[in-house]
Amino acid sequence: MWRYVLLRLGVAVLQLAALAVVVFFLIRLLPADPVARLVGLNASPEAYAQSERALGLDRPLIQQFAAYLGLSAAAPGLLQGELGRSWVTGEPVAAELGRALPLTIEVVSLALLASLLIAIPVGLVSAAKPKGGVDRAAFVWGLFAGAQPDYWWGLLFILLFAFTLGLAPAPLGRVDPLLVPPDSITGLILMDSLLQGRFDVFLSALHYLALPVLTMVFTVSGAIVKMVRQNTARALQSEYVLYARACGLPERRVARYALRAALTPTLTLIGIFFSVLLSAAVTVERVFSLNGVGQYSVRSILDFDYPAIQGAVLAVAMVALLVYLLVDIVHALLDPRLRG
Amino acid sequence: MRLYRTALVVVVLAACLLAGRATAERALLVLSEGVPASLDVDGPAGNHDPSQTGFLNIIEPLVDYVVGGVNDDGVQLYDFTRFAPRLAESWHYDPDTLTWTLTLRRDVKGCNGATFDADDVLYSFARAKSLSGVAPVGWFLGNVASIDGFTKALLQNTQQARAARELGDEIQKLDAYTVTIRQSAPNKLFLPALTIYGLGIYDQQTMQAHATAADPWSHGYAGSVNAPSFGPWCVERWRKEEVFAVKANPDYYRGTPYFDRVIMRAVPQSANRVGILRTGKAQFVEGLSPKEYAFLERSSGIKVSGAYLNGSLILLANWKSPPLDDPRVREALAYATPYADLVRGAYFGAAKQWHGLIPSEYPGYVRPAATYRYDPERARALLAEAGYPNGRGLEQFAEAFKLSYALDRENTLGPVATQLRTALRRVGFPVQLDPLPAVQLADRQLVKKDLPLSLYDGLTPIGVDVAYALLLSFITPPAGLNNMTNFSDPVVDEMFDKALVEPDPALRHEYLASAQEVLARRLAFLPLAEFEVRWATAPDLEGLTLHPTQSVPWYPLRLGQGAP
Repeated sequence: MWRYVLLRLGVAVLQLAALAVVVFFLIRLLPADPVARLVGLNASPEAYAQSERALGLDRPLIQQFAAYLGLSAAAPGLLQGELGRSWVTGEPVAAELGRALPLTIEVVSLALLASLLIAIPVGLVSAAKPKGGVDRAAFVWGLFAGAQPDYWWGLLFILLFAFTLGLAPAPLGRVDPLLVPPDSITGLILMDSLLQGRFDVFLSALHYLALPVLTMVFTVSGAIVKMVRQNTARALQSEYVLYARACGLPERRVARYALRAALTPTLTLIGIFFSVLLSAAVTVERVFSLNGVGQYSVRSILDFDYPAIQGAVLAVAMVALLVYLLVDIVHALLDPRLRG
Repeated sequence: MRLYRTALVVVVLAACLLAGRATAERALLVLSEGVPASLDVDGPAGNHDPSQTGFLNIIEPLVDYVVGGVNDDGVQLYDFTRFAPRLAESWHYDPDTLTWTLTLRRDVKGCNGATFDADDVLYSFARAKSLSGVAPVGWFLGNVASIDGFTKALLQNTQQARAARELGDEIQKLDAYTVTIRQSAPNKLFLPALTIYGLGIYDQQTMQAHATAADPWSHGYAGSVNAPSFGPWCVERWRKEEVFAVKANPDYYRGTPYFDRVIMRAVPQSANRVGILRTGKAQFVEGLSPKEYAFLERSSGIKVSGAYLNGSLILLANWKSPPLDDPRVREALAYATPYADLVRGAYFGAAKQWHGLIPSEYPGYVRPAATYRYDPERARALLAEAGYPNGRGLEQFAEAFKLSYALDRENTLGPVATQLRTALRRVGFPVQLDPLPAVQLADRQLVKKDLPLSLYDGLTPIGVDVAYALLLSFITPPAGLNNMTNFSDPVVDEMFDKALVEPDPALRHEYLASAQEVLARRLAFLPLAEFEVRWATAPDLEGLTLHPTQSVPWYPLRLGQGAP
């Protein structure tokens, strides 16, 4: 098992290294010069050259790459765990990602958890009673929710629940702006507020995160229901279920066996849906004024902030690879055939 | 039992008192597209609007403009012909030695308890001259104001230039509350430059406490943690792209601010800012589109205020892009533009046609003789005269008629661009829309200067002076700084040079008026409209002041009649 994990970790590191190289060179093909944003109205050739030097963009590309990797003596780089400083804020990219990433992970994890809690029972019931009321409702929901992009649903939910019914707070981030949030320990506000006994912040964060989580759950659950339903239906029609029924086992016990078989492929789906939700975070975060890694990536790209783009891509890729790795490990634990 | 009861009463009373204190606090919630990205004036965020709001409210200047009248919307305006003392209590200029003597205010305390004196001024100017920041705005303003030693030679990448970046005797401390600043030449832009945040004063004691060997001028600290100064607000909480909260400086020398706390929250979607304001949760919203302001004007319980100063919409036609270099083609563009439709359709009436190329609210503005109105027949005639009857032949210049504008300004500039394209195509110009990311647009407008045709609404000369505006946009490079259309005219250059050193106000005005006439006649760029800078607020919020940065100083804000 350890060999399998180490092998997967090695592959993940190689993937990240390749990604770092590709991103570094690809963003430099973007059709704009980031120095222009810095110098602004002070765009004399001398001032331009000064800013270019300050960013290190006056050096040959290969030297810039060496500096990015940390191979030059001047400053630490990627190999030393240093992602550089943002050209927009001047802050270390690692520190900025350290704030943005937990928020995204928090929202995406909550959304995934809620989606699974809803989708698995609904999928099972749909499979157990095809064309029943729940099955038909789930089918319509899947079509309906998937027919519009998540940001559209987000705006609609804000209009309905926040501005019309007043049930949800206005999209002002993850906590009431008038509250002073707790110190960051994990970066997850729900966790940090509990750890520091800040129940006012905890309740506020629950309230503020409800709509963005609902938006993600609403759009992604339909697809999960459909997949759980299909996997369960396939399991229910398998020979071992037929044998169990022929043996006269109670239907509840048969369903439990079928569920175990159906959940194995569903586990793989968790990894896929985590990535789906990570990409959905880009628009959902913008709509709900959440300063997560999605927002951070968009801002970085629009500002041609090379260090921030590089850092955000690596961070998101790392999270996605980690989730896939965890899923694969659990999968391998459940299914010994996969361990090779 | 009695003991328990007494204890319970005490706890309840304490809770009530604490709750009372909490509700008694005056907090202002400001919603904006973003929050300051940096408070380092020489840092990477000098051109970022929310950062300018941060600079304006945190970093105290030596000099400011005197407040003037109030417009019909209740917006406080400045009198840009007179300067008001801020950290400098008074000043005196000696033309023989080109030296300004500034007498500094005493008993001024910063947020960290530091007392302001001449060392803070010396530190701030030395920092500006060090060119240690990625975008040296302080040096730029010193150069614009002809402060001795703040030359372009400092920007060279040589040992000699690096050595010259240390502050010399051009700025001297005579005593703890008197400094002198020497100019290299007479230059009327000295005081206007001191009003701009780039030459604002940092609290050197706190800054130096956060300096490191690698960052001796504390750019990292000012860029990410705090900008210690002597202003009305102290940074309390700052999460980039999320929230910027400040609390009142109780020792502020002009008096404690009305609000105890101001919280600036980033809400990127303008529609959400509108919605939140309507719920009453926020008191101040900025950065909406003209359409959204027009909508809010009709909403009850919300006040939309605005004022004219330097909000302008221009069409930049590049002098190096044929056929836009032909004066007849440029004039045809000017006559083909439906000014009234733009004002009505894109700005919902909160704008007016701009006659001239200097903001009409600036002292020294003259309405030039050459003005343009919508006259498509005349535009067609001019095009025919230029050899393009009904636009025939212009198709070979397809690239020149790609109308660019900033993609992130789509809400505002999109409708303008669409209206303009329709009107120009009607006359025969083969215009296509080409929205670009803001950085790409800036690169081509400001650095490469190769964009043939573009719409721009961000030209805001924050030094309120005709000569400063000329220097920024119209003077021939390399002296000219930001000449986006590659315009060059020897008369304009000469008039500018004369005005810069002319001590007689009447003569100076005459020079600057002549330059303005040339700019309008030759259409250095095409002025389309001047628009109101607007904000939507709670109805009882008073004290809105329009600053040349188009940011709002929070210090004068207060709740009016009926407010708790």
